[in-house]
Amino acid sequence: MSYTIRLNKFEGPFDLLVYLIERAEMSIYDIQISIITRQYLDHIRRMEENDVAVGSEFMVLAATLIDLKSKMLLPRMTIEGGPAEDPRTDLTQKLLEYIRFKKAASALEEQRDFARYKLEKPQEDLLPYTGEPDVYLRMDMDHFIDAFKMFIHRKIKSDELRRMQSHIERERVSLESKVSFIHKLLRGAKNRLARFSDLLSKNTDRYDKVVTFIAILDMARKGELHAAQQGNFKEIEVRLTEGAD
Amino acid sequence: MQNKNRIKSAFESMMFVFGDPLDVKTAAAAAGVERKEAEAYFHELVKEYEEAGRGIRVRETGGKFQFVSYEENFDYIRSICTPAKERRLSQAALEVLAIAAYKQPVTKSEIDAIRGIKSDRVIEGLIAKELIEDRGRSNAIGRPALYGTTGKFLTYFDLKDLGELPQLDDEELEDAIRSFGEPGEDEPPTAIPGQTTLDI
Repeated sequence: MSYTIRLNKFEGPFDLLVYLIERAEMSIYDIQISIITRQYLDHIRRMEENDVAVGSEFMVLAATLIDLKSKMLLPRMTIEGGPAEDPRTDLTQKLLEYIRFKKAASALEEQRDFARYKLEKPQEDLLPYTGEPDVYLRMDMDHFIDAFKMFIHRKIKSDELRRMQSHIERERVSLESKVSFIHKLLRGAKNRLARFSDLLSKNTDRYDKVVTFIAILDMARKGELHAAQQGNFKEIEVRLTEGAD
Repeated sequence: MQNKNRIKSAFESMMFVFGDPLDVKTAAAAAGVERKEAEAYFHELVKEYEEAGRGIRVRETGGKFQFVSYEENFDYIRSICTPAKERRLSQAALEVLAIAAYKQPVTKSEIDAIRGIKSDRVIEGLIAKELIEDRGRSNAIGRPALYGTTGKFLTYFDLKDLGELPQLDDEELEDAIRSFGEPGEDEPPTAIPGQTTLDI
């Protein structure tokens, strides 16, 4: 779905004012301030109705025009009685200056329209001619052999490292196997009772203790055993519940 | 380097490899001749290519020279490739550019005053396009930045130097203003303003 919006596009208040003066076929040296002011304000109102954001610059010129309009009503005389300067002079000068550059802008645009047809090559990549020659090209046989040895050396090192890593790995007891181990142990124990330390493997480590502890918690949660501890850091005593076989 | 033709041929080769406009100073230093002499050779090259009606021409832009295609061959070039369609400069950008070109160095507030509207965004855009550049500070209160046109501006508009800018003669301006109407007419026609259509 597309919307078509019609709007008068003006580059600024001067652009609009020059347009209005031109349309009214007025002389720029003799602007009919009251007519132009009305048209200018009408236009701004129309912009607002169409939800075009009216910049403050447009308002400033509106104020200037209204000010001029009032001044035009007053008799133009100096205290000495001679004719005073036309209050419009300043505005006329500004508009003339603006028209001058508006014309210059379109002259530039025309100039570009011709320039467009001359095509140029972009800046060449001169690195192959000027930059540092490629390091590999500078390498003699000794450098090359050293580099290859270094590569082999690194390769051996990393292979060794990988082998070491596989040695470090050890088989780990799963939670499930620990649970079934505890079950078996408790069933065979007197009063189906045991201490935490009895549940640990022979070569226990931190991992084994953690798995054992989690196994107890898990079994207690399922109601398969009771766990009791007399105080902080005391031995945990576990007992298999009746019917949990 | 020895004779004139040899040097000119060297300049051709240099321009060919370089692509971007080649500075006369650089070329003169490479050939071991005076700048003036080098410039004369470049001008001869410009003339020779033109007189021989070659499809490649030598273009002078801001004291630099480069090879460009002959403008009348544009359609032929377009049949083998499509030169990227360029986005034309907006009316606002052209206005600011014109003010910067004819009045440089110029401050932002001078540009604003002539256009009657703030031009910050437009100036930023033109700087990004490298058509105008910062030219230091004015001594006015607040030491505002001064702007002027760049070398790229000259190439963009195919100008040898700023002296080649389209003349803003006052006679033409008078003509433009006269066409508005003669003093004293006050019955305005009630035409509907010229409208542009935008598809959004």
